[in-house]
Amino acid sequence: MTHSAESFVHPALFYQNSQEYLAGTVPFIQKGLAAGEPVAVAVPGSNLELLRAELGKSAEAVQLIDMKAAGRNPGRIIPKVLLAFADAHPTRRVQIIGEPIWPGRTPAEYPACVQHEALINTAFRGREVTILCPYDAARLDPAVLADAYATHPVVVDAGREELSGTYDPDRVVAAYNQPLARPPRAAVFAFEAECLPDARDFAVDRAKYLGLTGERVEDFALAVAELTTNSVVHGGGSGTVWVWGEGGQVLCEVRDSGHLSDPLAGRRPPLRDQLGGRGLLMVNYLTDLVRVHTGPEGTAIRFHLGN
Amino acid sequence: MHAAGEITLTTRTEWERALEGMVDGGGDVYLDMSGVTFVDVAGASAVAVAAQHLGSGRRMVLKGPPPALLRALEMFWPGLAAIEVTTK
Repeated sequence: MTHSAESFVHPALFYQNSQEYLAGTVPFIQKGLAAGEPVAVAVPGSNLELLRAELGKSAEAVQLIDMKAAGRNPGRIIPKVLLAFADAHPTRRVQIIGEPIWPGRTPAEYPACVQHEALINTAFRGREVTILCPYDAARLDPAVLADAYATHPVVVDAGREELSGTYDPDRVVAAYNQPLARPPRAAVFAFEAECLPDARDFAVDRAKYLGLTGERVEDFALAVAELTTNSVVHGGGSGTVWVWGEGGQVLCEVRDSGHLSDPLAGRRPPLRDQLGGRGLLMVNYLTDLVRVHTGPEGTAIRFHLGN
Repeated sequence: MHAAGEITLTTRTEWERALEGMVDGGGDVYLDMSGVTFVDVAGASAVAVAAQHLGSGRRMVLKGPPPALLRALEMFWPGLAAIEVTTK
């Protein structure tokens, strides 16, 4: 694979089978290692094992991450996986294989996955980083592959590298910024600054009633506190919090009249000694999925949490 | 210092000032948090930032902090050496 003069390189790799997977990834890894560059591989467990077996001893020099766990919530892949690795190696060019989209991704997860792929281009602009994103072209929907052309400037298909003619990550972020459907049975609580603790108590009680237990209740409380506080501070001073159960998870949505204008909000870790700026990041770290619909008319942020 | 109740938006400024005051004061910082029921991320950030401003040789001892605070500290400031946690 050729590297252009641009510092950030973000190709998609379409693979039909294990052979194509290894042919597209192993030389990438070996080239990085040979150059003394830090290499990380964050892919679903089965592909991780495939690579571990093929790499043999050199796998020890690679940071191997199970993307199904670390990247379950696509909203935390940029800060917790990709930026964390790149920032840990500030003096070298960094090589990463990141596979955030696999056939088991749910319809609720997919829009967040595509937005994540699109936002990588913004988050890493100007950085000395390559992120190669494998796509299971044999099993993923053609619409998913079409989206990959929009989120990656370069696509490698059947071993051939081509510039994407439809690359337009901003359009993708906007296209998946859609109203979130909510079931009529959801319980709701309206809040303002004075009753933030009541809003949290209401949501936590509902979450427990819906079956959330143990440490996940603590996580739920923290996430609700951050979203409702954001509404009071940045979202017009008040909002509503909605809670319901769906597919074995508890879903919680906070709505307010603010507009989330920074697409990277919640994906940029602040400096260690900075006081603010960790609310949405915390929600991304703690929960299984975050979906956002935002515009001049207001913002809805929804998270999913299961036991 | 002894803190009780919730550390959230309503009490944030007061909490940040109290921590700054103790950092400026010199010596180790002792915080009895066994009466605190909840700390949001901003409240946890104030603790971590204060601990980073302590300088070498000084430490911050948290007595009985709520789970939410420990969760935030381990997530954003793993291995912050100046902070020591004790139970009751």
